[in-house]
Amino acid sequence: MVVFAITLGTIAGVFVAGMMNGWVAQRIDSVIYTELGHLKIQNPDYLINEESQYSLPDIDSILAFCETTPGLENYTTRSKIVSMATTAGGSTGVVLKGIIPEQEKRVSDVYLKILPNGGDYFETKSKLPPVVISGKTAEQLRIKNFKITQQVLDSLTRQEVPNELLEKLKPLIDTRFDTEKKFKTAVQKVWHPNEIRKHGPALMRTASYLKTRSKITFSFTKQDGQIGYQTFQVCGVYKTTNTMFDQMNAFVKQEDLAYATGMDMNQFHEISIVLPENTKDANLLKNRLAQKFGHLNVMTWKELAPDAGMMADFMDVYYYMIMGIIFFALAFGIINTMLMSILERIKELGMLMAIGMKKKKVFQMIMYETVFLTLTGSLIGMALGGLLIAITGTTGLNFSSVAEGFEAVGWAAIVYPSIETSFFIGVTFLVIIIGILASIIPAKKALKLKPVEALRIE
Amino acid sequence: MKVIEISNLHKTYSESELEVRAVDGITLDFEEGEFAAIVGPSGSGKTTLLNMIGGLDVPTSGEVLVGGSLMSELKDSELTDFRLNNIGFVFQAYNLIPVLTVKENTEFVMRLQGKKDEECEKRSNELLKAVGLEERINARPVKLSGGQQQRVAVARALAAKPKFVLADEPTANLDSKSTETLLEIMERLNREENITFIFSTHDARVVKKARRIITLEDGKIINDVRKNGGE
Repeated sequence: MVVFAITLGTIAGVFVAGMMNGWVAQRIDSVIYTELGHLKIQNPDYLINEESQYSLPDIDSILAFCETTPGLENYTTRSKIVSMATTAGGSTGVVLKGIIPEQEKRVSDVYLKILPNGGDYFETKSKLPPVVISGKTAEQLRIKNFKITQQVLDSLTRQEVPNELLEKLKPLIDTRFDTEKKFKTAVQKVWHPNEIRKHGPALMRTASYLKTRSKITFSFTKQDGQIGYQTFQVCGVYKTTNTMFDQMNAFVKQEDLAYATGMDMNQFHEISIVLPENTKDANLLKNRLAQKFGHLNVMTWKELAPDAGMMADFMDVYYYMIMGIIFFALAFGIINTMLMSILERIKELGMLMAIGMKKKKVFQMIMYETVFLTLTGSLIGMALGGLLIAITGTTGLNFSSVAEGFEAVGWAAIVYPSIETSFFIGVTFLVIIIGILASIIPAKKALKLKPVEALRIE
Repeated sequence: MKVIEISNLHKTYSESELEVRAVDGITLDFEEGEFAAIVGPSGSGKTTLLNMIGGLDVPTSGEVLVGGSLMSELKDSELTDFRLNNIGFVFQAYNLIPVLTVKENTEFVMRLQGKKDEECEKRSNELLKAVGLEERINARPVKLSGGQQQRVAVARALAAKPKFVLADEPTANLDSKSTETLLEIMERLNREENITFIFSTHDARVVKKARRIITLEDGKIINDVRKNGGE
């Protein structure tokens, strides 16, 4: 029974640790490879006051240094300007990032996060300068619409939505809804709440479409202090797992931004660097950069996203704390079981001591038994927990029902649990230690037995 | 040669106001290779005497000298060692380890002594053959009859080649046929290996086989008879 409890406890602990680990790993991945890069170089003044005039000085020598220093080759330059985006449907504040798309792809994988039917990443030519915005911004600017077409109905049939429900949608066909709310209200009139609960998400997904050729006018303070306007045409809509990042960032070509704001072509506000696979020590390179360019601000991703940085540093401690707490609770069960086992075997223990088993050996025997008991349960638990992680690690755990909450703070809604082998080794040691500790009380009890008295017990 | 010398041994238990003298001034010797029975009614002090000889119980006063060692001078761990290397125990309730096989039970004491595998194997085979259980070496105690279990217990007691075997009512739970077989085995081993056997018993069949009969009553020796020309 106690082995079963240990097994269950271990499965739970390992799985929770795996889930957290997967989550944190995804978050860190997203922080580094989507949002920030490993290192960022900025003008210290820009950090205090985000005005376009505080660009990186002496840019050529910085770039030359990056080109020639091993580990810094994957860099991208960006110019940034705070702006207000406006369409006929709405307006929202965003940071316009002027990028060089080919260079940007080496550092950030936003280009891989373009939504289905969300256009492309600066590929299609257009008359107006192109902009890539997020799905969230698209919603705020009412660029995301909902419409039920025959194709939508066909797609829903493939997604196994019953025909009778599709029939009910027929009156809405070809009506355009420019907000999610209006669309939902319309659907609520034809579908029952239960039906919405079951098939609503599929409908929302399938019926939504992005008007990717929409025009957005951005207003900002130009280099000369005047207010400037520039209309861009949406070429792509992306979505990362971090809503905050999505809401904040819109990407345009650097040359277009320079032209619109009156900045120089080589006026950049930040250089973002992703280190190669084998160079994970961002601090080392940070120091080299800081030494060379003392007047600039160089920050690692841990400094830029302290929440993820802290997670990365204390992850292991958290997992062991979870396991520690679980095993601490289980230890009481183990102690109880061992005490019962000793109570049942008083006569046997008395006999062992009578025929010459030393107290040290008796102590060892009880300790081994306890460790064996604990280890059996936890090894089975680790195997099953590991299996569960392996399965859910490929299929992913979908938390979409509460996704908004997670994504708002930058955490993915679909989690792929993962765990390192070293964790299992660590847990095995932890279990052995807990087993040894839990054996002390029962073993002491056994040592107090006097053989002659123990033998007398019937 | 005297191997056990007991002089003026007392053991008193205090139960509330009442003082029980379990052993009351016993002086007694045993020669090497004796096959002796301590008899007497329940509560006469047989088991207590046996326990003090075996170093399991501590006398209130008096001395027990076993194989030249004064038991009262040995520390707890030394006593355990002494028992391990010098004394074989046979208990009334067999007290085999239920999870071990017949062979493993027999070898147990040798393993505690740290004897090598081959030596354990050889000795256990030899003994299990002697007690007639060579066919059952891989059986667990629960599969054996009471008589068979007690034969395993005897094999275990002898495995480490002790100088003495102390048996507390070894036949109390056995039928007459098993008792007979067990006694024959013990007698033979006593002769062949020259091991001193001391039983406590009130079984007439055991008394018949014993070559010396010590009768206790109220913790005192009231009779000590050696057969075959003894006292």
